[in-house]
Amino acid sequence: MDLQGSPRWELGVAIFFVAACSVVLWETRDIPPGTFEPLGSAPVPQATAVFIMMLSIAVGISAVRRLRVSGGPADAADYKPRPLDAVVVAALTVGYVMLLDARVLDFAPLTAIFLFIVISLLARFKLSAMAGAAVVGVITGWGAQYAFTRIFVVDLPGL
Amino acid sequence: MIGDLGGALAHIFTPLPFFYVFLGTVLGIVVGAIPGLSGAMLIALTLPLTFYMEPVNAIVLLVAMYVGSITGGLITATLLRMPGTPSNVVTTFDGHPLAMSGRPGRALGLGIAASFVGGIVSWIVLLLLAKPLSIWATRFGPFEYFTLILMAMVLIASVSQGSMVKGLIAGFLGMLVSMPGVDPSAGQPRLTWDWYVLNGGLKLLPVLIGIFAVSQIIGDIVSIGKKIDRIDANLSGMLMSFRDWRRQAFNMLRSSVIGTWVGILPGIGASIGSIMAYTVAKNMSRAPEEYGKGSEEGIVASEAANNATVGGALIPLISMGIPGSVIDAILIGALMIHSIQPGPTLFLTNADVVWAMIAACLVANVIMLIVMMGSVKVVSQVMYVPRTFLLPVILVFCIIGAFALDNTMFDVWVMLGFGVLGFAMERAGFPLGPFVIGFVLAPLMEEKLRSGLMMTAGSIEPIFTRPLPLLFLSIAVILLIAPFIRAWRQSRIARSGNAPGLNSGEGDSTR
Repeated sequence: MDLQGSPRWELGVAIFFVAACSVVLWETRDIPPGTFEPLGSAPVPQATAVFIMMLSIAVGISAVRRLRVSGGPADAADYKPRPLDAVVVAALTVGYVMLLDARVLDFAPLTAIFLFIVISLLARFKLSAMAGAAVVGVITGWGAQYAFTRIFVVDLPGL
Repeated sequence: MIGDLGGALAHIFTPLPFFYVFLGTVLGIVVGAIPGLSGAMLIALTLPLTFYMEPVNAIVLLVAMYVGSITGGLITATLLRMPGTPSNVVTTFDGHPLAMSGRPGRALGLGIAASFVGGIVSWIVLLLLAKPLSIWATRFGPFEYFTLILMAMVLIASVSQGSMVKGLIAGFLGMLVSMPGVDPSAGQPRLTWDWYVLNGGLKLLPVLIGIFAVSQIIGDIVSIGKKIDRIDANLSGMLMSFRDWRRQAFNMLRSSVIGTWVGILPGIGASIGSIMAYTVAKNMSRAPEEYGKGSEEGIVASEAANNATVGGALIPLISMGIPGSVIDAILIGALMIHSIQPGPTLFLTNADVVWAMIAACLVANVIMLIVMMGSVKVVSQVMYVPRTFLLPVILVFCIIGAFALDNTMFDVWVMLGFGVLGFAMERAGFPLGPFVIGFVLAPLMEEKLRSGLMMTAGSIEPIFTRPLPLLFLSIAVILLIAPFIRAWRQSRIARSGNAPGLNSGEGDSTR
């Protein structure tokens, strides 16, 4: 991971932090002052949010300057990054969690299906990998359900 | 002390605790050896499985994982030039060149021996310092604690990878994220947006799993196309001769002491320890030109120091409840999940847990040495586990882990949200360590500040009139402004260097 960070990501994250801190400041405006202690509940989050905003603005300005100078760093990776796969896996995960929450299916079958789809996707739907994905999905789904509910006595989502 | 330690060791050597220490060390080594997975990820994911364990067994399992994971990264760092964990980055400088020169066994043997020595040296310091320091810390008032945590936060930000400003932002953000819920000092709900699920605040475990594990999975999926070249590891020559031990003894000891000291400083992880020890070893070496080309001294310095940070980092955790590293922040969370309050009184309230941690640290180091020496060839094959299969399975375990804490899907959504945030922060170059440590320390910091202000009717005067708060505050201020002064001086030197005439020696004649 680039320690300096991509200026575009830097700028995006800085803007997000400023926006999030503005929401925090707005939310804390109505908190009453302390009655039996001098500080009250609002000043600490407010001061923290202000610090983050100020520092984020500095980071944002520096990112804009770097963007102007270089137009963003060239990706020097010796492989082809797959950001779209990450987005699709994230979307599939959100869907999987929603289905677990809705208890449409038990944990085991839903997990087996989820793993089969995600592994197949990451393996670019190669037939040999898909067979492995089915096996891994079944073992993980039913294996985890057995291990967590019977051995570790931990509840699972969707059950 | 000897009696307490003996009792803890006797307990560790009973079947179940010993099994947990062994399992933890082996799992730590295996996970450390897989590029992209880290000890923090393993420990965060294991936490939910420990809910129903005896607290002592749970803590020894996690401490053993900590020891194992720092060492496991040595294998990939040496054989693939891919550090299994961030703390092994420096090992790649010399470990990989030595392995490529046909002596991978030698490189691994040196690293394993140095790791063991580093672990043992720091364990001795842990044994000797933890209790006296905790007795000393019981005298701390709220302002001492507040300024100590403030100093720790600035220290974390100032040495975190990337820029100090980003480290500070990450630390403050971690603090802010810990604040929603009912304010413990006043009982006033804040930052809940009238949403009842937020009354209890954001819990440590979903935030941790999200920020460390899910963000890592997203990053690994993006780089899943990266090829790992298989190399045939000839592992002969792993055992060090007496002559080797004698030649490396001083380097090992010095690096172990550096690593232990860096570990003790709150919030600084193994990466900084190994960088510092490596730099010192290079500066004091008779053959500095060998560094970066397969220097045996370099491997020894890096590995002794990064393992030494483990014992060192446990010292502030046990004696003051302040994490010495990111994994220690997770261990604090583990203690709290098991209803154990970390802090100076830990030796009084839960002495069995503390001594078990100390004993587990020793036993795990010995197991690490035996397992690594005996099965490094097998463990090295783990590096090639296809990530296509591994990452989705880990994602499922993350979801189970977050859900298992309170059986609520809200925690799962929190985990996924922080996974995305962690990924974006890493992409933008924000370090995640300060975030987690800020998240863990902020409630304690705020509580101490507010109770101190209640004692003094709102006056912060004791911070400036008592010696310890003043010392801690002064160090924090120095740490905060030092990088800016350094940058200003460098720019001045650069400007004066560019000025005409000064480079040609005319400057001397004008003095």
